[in-house]
Amino acid sequence: MIHSKRIRSTTSRYISRLLLAGFMLSATVASAVIHASTPADPFGSVMWKTMVDTYFTGGDVVFDQRVIVSAPKSAENQMHVPITVDATGLENVKQIVAVADLNPIQHILTVRPEQALSFIGFRLKLQQSSPIHVGVQTEDGTWHMGGALIDAAGGGCTAPAAAHSVSNWMKTLGETRALVRRDSKGDARMTIRMRHPMDTGLASGIPVFYMNKMVVKDDAGGVVAELDLFEPVSENPTITLKPSVGNESSVLKVSTRDTEGNEFAFPLSVPAVLAQ
Amino acid sequence: MKQMKVWLAAAVGAACLSTTAIADVTIEEIVADQASGDDIVSYGLGPRGQRYSPLKTLNKGNIKNLFPVWSFSFGGEKQRGQESQPLIKDGVMYVTGSYSRMWAVDIRSGEEIWQYDARLPEGILPCCDVVNRGAAILGDKVYFGTLDAKIVALDAKTGKVVWRKTIGDYEAGYSYTAAPLIVPTEAHGPLIVTGNSGGEFGIVGEVQARNPETGELVWTRPTIEGHMGTLNGEESTMTGKKNETWPGDIWQNGGGAPWLGGTYDPDTKLVFMGTGNPAPWNSHLRPGENKWTSARIAIDPETGEIAWGFQTTPHDGWDYDGVNEFISFDMEKDGETIKAGASADRNGFFYVLDRTNGEFVSAAPFVQNISWAEGIDENGRPIYVDDNRPGNPVESADGKKGKSIFAVPSFLGGKNWMPMAYSQDTELFYIPSNEWGMDLWNEPTTYKKGAAFMGAGFTITPIFDDYIGSLKAMDPATGEVKWEYRNKAPLWGGVLTTAGGLVFTGTPEGYLKAFDAETGEELWKFQTGTGIVSSPITWEQDGEQWVAITTGWGGAVPLWGGEVAKFVSYLNQGGSVWAFKIPESLASK
Repeated sequence: MIHSKRIRSTTSRYISRLLLAGFMLSATVASAVIHASTPADPFGSVMWKTMVDTYFTGGDVVFDQRVIVSAPKSAENQMHVPITVDATGLENVKQIVAVADLNPIQHILTVRPEQALSFIGFRLKLQQSSPIHVGVQTEDGTWHMGGALIDAAGGGCTAPAAAHSVSNWMKTLGETRALVRRDSKGDARMTIRMRHPMDTGLASGIPVFYMNKMVVKDDAGGVVAELDLFEPVSENPTITLKPSVGNESSVLKVSTRDTEGNEFAFPLSVPAVLAQ
Repeated sequence: MKQMKVWLAAAVGAACLSTTAIADVTIEEIVADQASGDDIVSYGLGPRGQRYSPLKTLNKGNIKNLFPVWSFSFGGEKQRGQESQPLIKDGVMYVTGSYSRMWAVDIRSGEEIWQYDARLPEGILPCCDVVNRGAAILGDKVYFGTLDAKIVALDAKTGKVVWRKTIGDYEAGYSYTAAPLIVPTEAHGPLIVTGNSGGEFGIVGEVQARNPETGELVWTRPTIEGHMGTLNGEESTMTGKKNETWPGDIWQNGGGAPWLGGTYDPDTKLVFMGTGNPAPWNSHLRPGENKWTSARIAIDPETGEIAWGFQTTPHDGWDYDGVNEFISFDMEKDGETIKAGASADRNGFFYVLDRTNGEFVSAAPFVQNISWAEGIDENGRPIYVDDNRPGNPVESADGKKGKSIFAVPSFLGGKNWMPMAYSQDTELFYIPSNEWGMDLWNEPTTYKKGAAFMGAGFTITPIFDDYIGSLKAMDPATGEVKWEYRNKAPLWGGVLTTAGGLVFTGTPEGYLKAFDAETGEELWKFQTGTGIVSSPITWEQDGEQWVAITTGWGGAVPLWGGEVAKFVSYLNQGGSVWAFKIPESLASK
């Protein structure tokens, strides 16, 4: 079942509302340390070793300042904590894995940028103050790590989604707002926000139910980026990617799927680069 | 915490793989399920639904040594009725539960492999408790229907959703509780066949067949005259002839929900579906036979066409659904072998039909004091007692309530959803039945989407002071009841019989009981701690014979029970599955 949901072309006003870049603070980590064993965690996470053993296996682990993780120092709203990961300084990136060490469910998302910059923006639910670790794995297997420490009041993962205060929330499931514009020559910047409760299964009486897959393809059907999403991604997932689309106009095809097998798909038109 | 659970499940899965390869289930295995004792890959222990196991390790002599091995809790704060029959394949049990949940359980350890909770919308409208009756399995997927009238295909190894399709609009009152049926076809390969629920909301009964790989519809067959079927995405034929047995346009909300699913007979290659009561209950609003409500219909799975139909209660006025399972069996009578099928109807009569053409063979009462009909005539038609049909409210002084009557059986039926069993050894049917009647009266009503469409009021009353439930052994050739077991509370669970000469059923009082198939003597019982309203199974695992049953009191009785409440109001809810086995060392003692 493919739902073609309403797509609204949005204005710059929406951009500013969506991406309140003003309160994002850079939290870049000190220079790379090459270690035979797991390096010490600059964030002092008690879960660090577990995170490495679970999510960052199959290669060396190094902290690398080219992995720039932008996050607020303190979560104004622990249901929606905005994070931006910029690893565009790294070549040959295979995947980007983000985890929240002290969440009851740690794995936030995995991104495989095929024809996209090594860049991802998203929002997560944070259960308590926690380090965020982002591993960017390159083709040689090495995990280039970055991260941030976020202070939070608590309760993000075990509270019911706001959607559930409306009895017919299922009717609007998958409704999407999307924006695409030129980021730089050859690259686009796309942001989508799709209605979904992203239920973690930890709120009393509400089974797990979240959008777990997002694929962006180009005109020819080639994969631009693939995302595996998990329970900690915020309600109404808001995802920003930077597809490498070239200079011509093109149509990106976005499709998503949730854990109940609901599928949503829509096209996103990218304008051509204006002649100089 | 959640993540931890997922890892544990993966570890258990790996452990299983190391000892037993989990193989895909083939359609041949499903068709031949009854003969293989080491798995259960269909609802009813074979598509005919005989609920007969050829296993005889466990027998009358050694059943005293049948012991519980583990109990698996469904957990959660919501319990309610557990009517599910588990499936068994390669050391894994697939069991469904209330509120559209499903689990895979490692049989050797009783540990959970995965759990799936359907995300149900607000406002589902199940008429008679939030039950589910079981899953289907084919290839690498397991299937079950959910209360919001969806069918879900899950990866059997992980419990992740592969596809999910809509059977009906839950906001209009459609829901789904039966176990899906998987049948072979030449034209389309295996198909997964479902009915629907919602007869109390004026829905239209429909049978749907889908491609099990993709969930795409292959054919649909409405049960109500005047509605169009489909085949391969295009309109095929109309069911019956519009307005032949229905007046005006009331057929558009005519009910006839095949809510209990169906059976399949590999000999005749027919799917047998039972259909529910016509809507509304007030029969004065719909003069005519109201086809195909309260009927059995045989459908050709190649095309979705109705091969034959047989109405047990034409122009029903008592909520006598005709949904009860139609079990194929070969009957010896007067030196001939009849390709027969039998069904114990809500209306209190046990029917034998020729399953090749639907022709009536015989009928016999299986409950006492039936009042609405004097009997069944030679053509299979009820001889109605006209005074025992609730009066037309239009004829009353204020037009609001017709004459009330007391009819037997009650609308919950001589037999309700709980499936009977047929023993190939004793050649007897074991029918879980109930002895009760009802005061019933009709009221005016009009259809409104999502609202009850009944036009009737009722209360249920036991007929006898000391019991309602009655398990009967019925000889299909003679219509004689060979033995009876009486149970204080109404019986609401299915029956199992085995080549070991045993008959199993559960009681609302919490006992799983075993009887001598020949005499009805009670040989064994075990108290599970909550009421049983589900169907037992037996299979062979690692050379030992096992028995399992889901437990958890609920279903329609506590919701609609009327004066029956004093028999059942003290019963407590639950939600688990119990596994028993006879240890190898004790099997020969």
